[in-house]
Amino acid sequence: MHKGRRYLRGLNFLIIAVLLILTLVPVYVIVSNSFRETLAIKRMPPELFFKPTLIHFQRLIQRDNFLKYFLNSIIISVSVTVTTIGLGTLCAYALKLFVSRLGERLSNIMLLGKLVPSITILIPLFLMLNRVRLTGTYFGPILAHSAMGLPFVTWLMASFVRDIPREILESARVEGATRMRTFYKVIFPMLTPAIASAVILVMQFSWNELMFSLQLTNIHTYPLTVGIARYVGAVSVDWGKSSVAATIAMVPIIAIGFFMQKYLVAGMTAGAVKS
Amino acid sequence: MNIRNNFCWSLEKGDLLPVLLMTPAMLLIAGVMVMPLGFGFFLSFFDFSFGGFSILDDFAGLQNYARILGDATARRSILNTLLFSAGAITLEFVIGTIIAVLLFHLSRLAGALIRPLITIPLLISPIVVGLIWRYIYDPQGILYWFLGLFGLSIAHFPGVTAASTALLSTVIAHSWEVVPFVVIVLTAGLVSIPTELYEAAYMDGAGEFNIFWRITFPLLKDVYMVLLLISGVDTIKIFDIIYSLTGGGPNNSTISISMYAFNQAFMQTNMSYAMTLSVFALVVTFAVFGIPFVRRNRVRSHG
Repeated sequence: MHKGRRYLRGLNFLIIAVLLILTLVPVYVIVSNSFRETLAIKRMPPELFFKPTLIHFQRLIQRDNFLKYFLNSIIISVSVTVTTIGLGTLCAYALKLFVSRLGERLSNIMLLGKLVPSITILIPLFLMLNRVRLTGTYFGPILAHSAMGLPFVTWLMASFVRDIPREILESARVEGATRMRTFYKVIFPMLTPAIASAVILVMQFSWNELMFSLQLTNIHTYPLTVGIARYVGAVSVDWGKSSVAATIAMVPIIAIGFFMQKYLVAGMTAGAVKS
Repeated sequence: MNIRNNFCWSLEKGDLLPVLLMTPAMLLIAGVMVMPLGFGFFLSFFDFSFGGFSILDDFAGLQNYARILGDATARRSILNTLLFSAGAITLEFVIGTIIAVLLFHLSRLAGALIRPLITIPLLISPIVVGLIWRYIYDPQGILYWFLGLFGLSIAHFPGVTAASTALLSTVIAHSWEVVPFVVIVLTAGLVSIPTELYEAAYMDGAGEFNIFWRITFPLLKDVYMVLLLISGVDTIKIFDIIYSLTGGGPNNSTISISMYAFNQAFMQTNMSYAMTLSVFALVVTFAVFGIPFVRRNRVRSHG
């Protein structure tokens, strides 16, 4: 890493400081507003020290049943993650087993799935699910999210499986392992970082998804995003309630993302730059 | 005769295992993505409203597609989406590049501390991002308080309250969320540039800006292409943040194609027309981004 000149260092520092402020202050204000009394929220600029209150949390949990939304989000996100990773890794392995280029071509074609707008699938899917009376259940969002996430996960897994050196697989075969056994004992463990990346990316996608969740669930199965969507429709927003809702929706996934930062970054760059 | 392959086990004829492993995934995609797409495409040629008896009742041929041409709101939504896309991509790229380069010059420790913080907006749901920015853009809110310190007021920048600036305001909000992605990807690209190039340039007395423009930027072209594809596709599909921040207003100045189709389908129950709009969005996305998308990946996997 080369050395920069001193004034540039100072400028660098200043811009980064501004960047951090612009990034973190909005999030901090919303989270802290969850604990501010309504009158305090209206005061500009927001005070740094204030008397915290849990009244907004109370209202949200008791009157608006927000914990149910939280639970629904968890149910949907976890199911989607398990489904996509399970099906995706098996599919990626299958693609690897195919004769030469066919597997690669298929996994590239799968990437086209990312180009499809959600609305184009939502409308017919809604009509189809309505016919079989599955709207309003968890099935709708789980199936939809999985279908949207599966092409990318499969492609991601396929590109990591492709990187596994042949020698390792050869030696496994020489020792008499069947293909499935090789998968369990050799390939799957080696895919752990790729799986970690896929987990955080898919979970984040499903947790934060709005369109499918909005139309395919009903009041018993609303996830958090839909709960929040019902608040933004109003002309005048109740900032206390909305801030709590936003906080509950943001904090868990940010915490997980923080924890799995390395894999998050790896997953994102795998989709763009490959070293 | 053995089938030639690049894997150790030879693939016998009638070997079912790969097909078996692929089936669940393929079934899911076929059933939940491909089949609805086909059905939807079929639907766009009829005149079906939710609650109607049978779809096959009113065949409309290309009528729905022609309707798009005459529909002012549809045209507006297309324009908005294109403007949004262009604006967001420009803003993301410029700001993202500046930040990526600056972060790159930091010490390892500082970088390791700061980068996780920067990725926070990425993890926030677009609908929450819309909420956050709605709070920021509130006339009694934090942005106008801040502008007030400099003597500026809402009259100078109406934000989401005026049709002239609403789209720009959504572009800013969206960029706030997405710039970290650009930074991360560019950083990965920056890391792969060999340092000898920089050292040679420094020894020749080159200035910082020149170094970036003549060395770094050309080497990052591939990365920018990829980012262009990803951002382009994402912005054409834009829905959540607009739903949350402006709801499409004021005066349809921020409504996107996806949002208009959504409203037509679920507020106006014009399922067929909504499907037509959606198919239009799909076709445009594929037409513009489909070929580069596939070609880029094919080149990479050969490399």
